[in-house]
Amino acid sequence: MDTAATGTAPPLRAIRISKEYLGGSFKALDDVSFELRENQITAFVGPSGCGKTTMLRIVAGLEYPTRGRLEVFGKPVVGPGPDRGMIFQAYTSFPWLTAQKNVEYGMKLMGIGTGERRERANGFLKLVHLEKFAGSYPRSMSGGMKQRVALARTLAQNPKVLLMDEPFGALDAQVRWEMQELMIELIEREKKTVVAITHDIEEAIYLADRIIFFSRQPGRIKADIPVDFKNGRRYQRKEELVRLPGYADLEHRLFAMMREEIQETKTA
Amino acid sequence: MQESRAAAIGAPNHAGHEAANDPAPLFVAPKERFLEFRLQPTSQRAWMLGTLGALGFFGLWELGHYLTAESARKFLPSVEQVARALYVLFSERNFLHDVLISCYRIFVSFFAASAVGVPIGILMGCFGNVRALLNPTLSGWRYLPAASFIPLLLVWFGPTDLAKIALLFIGVIFFLISLILDNTRAVPKELVEAALTMGASRREALTGVVVPAAMPTVLDSMRNMIAVGWTYLVIAEIVGAQDGIGAVMMRAGRFLNVDTIMAAIFTIGVLGILTDVLFRVAQHLLFPWNVERRS
Ligand SMILES: Nc1ncnc2c1ncn2[C@@H]1O[C@H](COP(=O)(O)OP(=O)(O)OP(=O)(O)O)[C@@H](O)[C@H]1O
Ligand SMILES: [Mg+2]
Repeated sequence: MDTAATGTAPPLRAIRISKEYLGGSFKALDDVSFELRENQITAFVGPSGCGKTTMLRIVAGLEYPTRGRLEVFGKPVVGPGPDRGMIFQAYTSFPWLTAQKNVEYGMKLMGIGTGERRERANGFLKLVHLEKFAGSYPRSMSGGMKQRVALARTLAQNPKVLLMDEPFGALDAQVRWEMQELMIELIEREKKTVVAITHDIEEAIYLADRIIFFSRQPGRIKADIPVDFKNGRRYQRKEELVRLPGYADLEHRLFAMMREEIQETKTA
Repeated sequence: MQESRAAAIGAPNHAGHEAANDPAPLFVAPKERFLEFRLQPTSQRAWMLGTLGALGFFGLWELGHYLTAESARKFLPSVEQVARALYVLFSERNFLHDVLISCYRIFVSFFAASAVGVPIGILMGCFGNVRALLNPTLSGWRYLPAASFIPLLLVWFGPTDLAKIALLFIGVIFFLISLILDNTRAVPKELVEAALTMGASRREALTGVVVPAAMPTVLDSMRNMIAVGWTYLVIAEIVGAQDGIGAVMMRAGRFLNVDTIMAAIFTIGVLGILTDVLFRVAQHLLFPWNVERRS
């Protein structure tokens, strides 16, 4: 898709990132490094307050690290940019724009002309099953629909990396499930490199090809776990996934790690 | 027959004495009270209640008139007397001219205050540095009673339109700025962040996101502040003016024409309501996306 991708450089590389708050007296992240592989879905998992959001916001360029640096396809980046699309937990579809205009917004910033913009917006609205609501304002939409508008808007910019901070956290269980399935469908089609934060271990296993587990205080990578029981496949149907050998083991391992973290802070 | 079969298969038909084919009996809701939480009156009912409230007001007024001692009645004229005074004002004393002059002063000064105050308020709401730069000074100004500037403005500008417009401007702008600052800060920061991650420049995020997001509440703040504008207008016109509603009232006061004073006050009230309606209509027309849709 992106021919400018320079040979071996990964879509995103975080190099020895540290983030200190309160004038250095609080370390939210301590020397975190990782590389994303192209077309891979990575989940950030870990106890509350371990720095997942901080890490993602640093990647997005919304916050700056105290130490370390970031590279996108080998090029250092500072500050936000459309090469890293972000989906927030809060609904960020613009209420004064129709779904259609929302999706066009990012493309307009990129300088894409009116005609092409409209055409592509229609395509992406169809992709998130909102073609019937192109002329509706977010106010009249459910939470899941608003989130789909945000998703279409971000995808329409064709970002190199898609960042999501608990994107389905505010949705109820069934809508959440629909959104997860839609995500798999979209990522398979659009071939995206994705990082998604989630509290939900089941969601992490379902979506991710790889799980980065953070421990807290200071935030560090506790484990980098490939979800290899899927054998490189993505399953759209959860009921198939949970039957696979290896699913239960991985879930057990993640729950155990989570418990460890919780107990550590209890005794600390 | 239905009944017996249901019973025979042991279907969970607790009623037993009701045929399954009949519609269930209407639900008997408890009687609705006047003071009912969460009750939204229908628009007809709202109109009716509103009219009732107004009639009640005029009734009390009329009652007050007749309960006042005969000798003092001219200090509390009846509704009819005030209505007649209003008619005389318009038909014989060219009151329309005064009304238009007052409206002109209100709108010019309010337009000026908005043209200055809205951008400043939005910039302060967006940027901490601008806030830090201006807020201490502007907060101080907010505590100065605008009326205390009257002597100064008269010295500077004399009894001109400019003096009155300046007073209204001073009376309105500082509160307007602080309201708009709050409106702007209430814009969810994720909206701005979303725009930035999509590659918006600071200018694009400001004009394309913060401004449209804040606009409906900004318009509400303006609606509230224009009401305050009327307060200062009357003060300004009472103190030093040949024309305008306030001047008419002042002159009437000198001759103890209470009915004329009241007619003028009533006129201001009506103008206030009209301004309010104007702003509400503008809200609907300009920001249809923000209007609650009843389906
Ligand atoms: N601006 C800030 N000033 C001071 N401390 C902060 C700031 N932002 C975050 N922190 C702290 O940094 C730590 C990491 O926060 P972060 O939001 O990244 O955690 P998280 O892993 O996303 O948690 P959650 O799962 O609850 O969303 C927390 O202890 C938080 O209190
Ligand atoms: Mg978080």
